Amino acid sequence: MLVVMSVFDDLVGQDTVIEQLRSAARAADGLLAGSGGAGMTHAWLFTGPPGSGRSEAARAFAAALQCPDGGCGHCSSCHQVFSGTHPDLLYVRPSGLSFGVDKTRDLVLRSASRPTGGRFRVVLFEDADRATEAASNALLKAVEEPSPRTIWLLCTPTAEDLLVTIRSRCRLVTLRTPTTRAVVDALVGRDGVAPDLAAEAARASAGHFERARALAGDPAARRRREEVLAIPARLDGLGACVTAAARLYELAEAEAKETTGALDEQEKADMRAAFGEGSTGKGVAKAVRGAAGALKDLDDQQKRRATRIKRDTYDLALMDLVAFYRDVLAIQLGARVELPTADRDADLRGVARSSTPEATLRRIDAIMECRRRIGANVHPQIAMEAMTAALYTG
Amino acid sequence: MRFRADRDAFADAITWTARALPVRPAVPVLAGMRLDITDAAAGTLGLSAFDYEVSTRASVDVQVEEPGSVLVSGRLLSEIVRNLPPYPVEMRTDGSRALLTCGSARFTLLTLPIEDYPTLPSMPDVTGSLPGDVFASAVRQVAPSASRDDTLPMLTGVNLTFSGGTVFLAATDRYRIAVREAWWQPRSPDVDTSALVPARTLFDTARSLTSGGNVDIALSAVDGSGARATRGEGMIGFEYAGRRTTTRLIDSDFITYDSRFPTEFAATAEVPVAPLVEAVKRVALVADRSTPLRLSFGQGEVVLEAGSGDDAQAAEALDVKFEGEPMRIAFSPQYFLDGLGGVESETAFLNFTAPTKPAVITGAPAEEGGRPNYRYLVMPLRVA
Repeated sequence: MLVVMSVFDDLVGQDTVIEQLRSAARAADGLLAGSGGAGMTHAWLFTGPPGSGRSEAARAFAAALQCPDGGCGHCSSCHQVFSGTHPDLLYVRPSGLSFGVDKTRDLVLRSASRPTGGRFRVVLFEDADRATEAASNALLKAVEEPSPRTIWLLCTPTAEDLLVTIRSRCRLVTLRTPTTRAVVDALVGRDGVAPDLAAEAARASAGHFERARALAGDPAARRRREEVLAIPARLDGLGACVTAAARLYELAEAEAKETTGALDEQEKADMRAAFGEGSTGKGVAKAVRGAAGALKDLDDQQKRRATRIKRDTYDLALMDLVAFYRDVLAIQLGARVELPTADRDADLRGVARSSTPEATLRRIDAIMECRRRIGANVHPQIAMEAMTAALYTG
Repeated sequence: MRFRADRDAFADAITWTARALPVRPAVPVLAGMRLDITDAAAGTLGLSAFDYEVSTRASVDVQVEEPGSVLVSGRLLSEIVRNLPPYPVEMRTDGSRALLTCGSARFTLLTLPIEDYPTLPSMPDVTGSLPGDVFASAVRQVAPSASRDDTLPMLTGVNLTFSGGTVFLAATDRYRIAVREAWWQPRSPDVDTSALVPARTLFDTARSLTSGGNVDIALSAVDGSGARATRGEGMIGFEYAGRRTTTRLIDSDFITYDSRFPTEFAATAEVPVAPLVEAVKRVALVADRSTPLRLSFGQGEVVLEAGSGDDAQAAEALDVKFEGEPMRIAFSPQYFLDGLGGVESETAFLNFTAPTKPAVITGAPAEEGGRPNYRYLVMPLRVA
C-alpha cells in the first residue's frame, strides 16, 4: 500500500478500525455531495481498553470528517482539529470526576447549531461514562433527535458504561489492545526511542500506548514503576505494610503533582499571552487584567482536573501491582504468556513459590477493592493500607 | 506585514470588530484579533474576530508597505487604539512581535499562533436588504419573547422568514408568540426561505445598527434535506456600513405559528399605550413574576388589580374604548408589558376570545382591513 500521510497514522495497531472509519468518512463525503451516504451515521461510540487510543481514534475521525481530503493531516482544518480550535468541533473533555446535567444541556444546545465550514458539526465527548445519570438523559435526547449535520462521537471504556438507550443509537467502534510489536514499532518509528528501551516500555505497559510512551520518555516514570513493583516482595509484616502504603501514596501524589504542574502553568501562560501579557506599552496592564475572568475559569477547571489526575495516577500504580500479581498467577499456573513485569523475575518467582494461586487471586481482588474504595472517596492512603495488609496476609 | 493607517478609521474598525471577542475564551487563540493584508495593491486591511458563534469583520483603508497576516491579542489592541494620540498609526511585524507606533507612543505586541486560529465562516451571498432602523426595531419587538431556557434550542431563537417582499420575525417561549412583519427588498422577487437565529446574538447585532443606511442580509439557500453543502450555509450574515457579522443558525425547524393566532374575537379594547404601561408597572409593584395581574374590562374603562388576601394589593382604573362582553382576564405582568412594549403606535388593540384562551395585542392596523405589522399572542393566567 502506498504510504500517504493521514490523520489515522497516529493510531497504533488499529488497522480494522482505521478501515471502518476511512470508509465512513468517504460515505460522509458522499452525503455532502448529495448521494445517499450509506455507511455514515450520526452517532458513534468508541470503546476499547485504557491506552488503546479511544479519544485519539475519535479525534482522527473528526479530522477526517472535517477535512475536504478525508483527513490529509496537513491542511489547516486538520491542524485546527488537532489543536482543538476547529470552529465546528465541540471538544468535551470532562475535567472533573463527573460531568453534570447543566453542562450537558449547554452542550446539547450548542450541538444544535449548524456547521460554519460547510461540513459537519462534530461533538467529541471523551470519557462519556463520566456523565451523571441526569446528564445521560439530557444527552439521550440529542442523540435521539439529531440535527441533520451534527455527529456525535462518544468515548467510553466499554459499551456497557453508557445508558442502553444511548448505546443502541450509536454505531460501535471497538478498539483493541495494540500488540507489543505495534507499540514498539510506533515508539521506534515515530518517537525515535531506542529499540531496547522501546521493547521494555512496550512490554511493561501491556498495550497502553501513552503509558509506554511515558515510560520510554521519562526515566522518573520508570523509577516510580520500579518502586511500586518492589512493594510485594517487601511486605514482611504489618509495619512494612503501613510503610509501603505511605510510600505508594507519596509516589502517586508526586507524579500527579508533576503532571498537573506542567500542564497548569503552560495553559495559564497561553491564556495570559492571549490577553496581551509580554507586550509593552500603555494599556497592556489593563488588557492583561481583563484576563482575570478567563483565568479564574481556567483555575477552577484545573482544580477539578487535578483531582481527576490524582485518581488516575493512583489507578496507574495499582494497575502496575495488579500486573505483578497477574504474572505471579501465570507462573503459578505455568501459563506461557508474555509477562509485563518480567523485569522483576526474582520477586515474581519468590511470591509465586510462597503462595497459592487462590491467594494470588484474593490479592488481586484486594487491589480491585482498593480502587473501588478510592472511587468512593475513601482517603487513598487508608485504602492503600488496607490493601497492603490484605496483600501481606494473602 | 507593514502598513500605515489613519488613526480614527483604524481605531473605529478595531473597536467595532472587538465586539465578537469572547470575555472568557474557550481556547486562548479566540482572544486574538486577526489582521490581514492579502493584496498589496488593494490597500485594505481586514480585521476579524470570532467566538465560534459570531464573527465580525471590518476593513479599513491603509497604505500597504508589505502584505501579510498576524494574530494579536484583540483585547489589548482595542485597549491600545482607545488611547492613541492623534497621529497616523504605523504597524509592522518583526518575528514573533508586532510593533505599533503612533506619534511618540510605541507598543510591542506578542503575536499569537495564527495557524491555530479557526477558519472564519464564509459569508453567504446577499439575499436582500432593509433599512437598518426598521430591522433594529423589529428585533427589539420580537427578541424578548424568545426563551432563555435552553432545553429546547428552537425556543431560544428568533425565526426570520423571507417571503417575496416581506420579512417575518417571530419568537416564542411556549407562553407567548411575538410576530413582526416588515417590507424589504429581496435580490430575487420569489425568495422563500427562513433562518432560526439565536435571539441573544441577533439582539446584539441589531443594537449596533444605529443610524440610517440599509442592512444587507445574507443567507444561503438550503435544499430540502439540509444535507448538501453550499457556501456559507448554516450562517446568516449582516452587512451594515461595510462591516460584516455572521451568526451561526440553530439547526431546527420553527413552529408554524400563524394558525395559533385566533381570527375571531369576542371583545376588543383600544388602549393608550404609555398610560397603560405606567399603570401596569405601578400595580405590578405588589406582584412578583408569577402572581397574576388581573384586568377587568367593562364599558369605557379597565380596572387593573394585583395581589390578594393577606398580600399587598394594588388597583388602578384607566379609561379605554371597549367593545364586546365585559371581560375579566389575568396575565403575568412581565409578559403583558413585553407585549405592550412592542407596540410602536400610541394606541394598542387588545383582542380577546375568552378569559382562558390566548389574547392578542396588536399595534394600530396599517390601514383598514390590513394585517397589523406587529402581533403578540399571550396566554392568560388562570385565577380562582
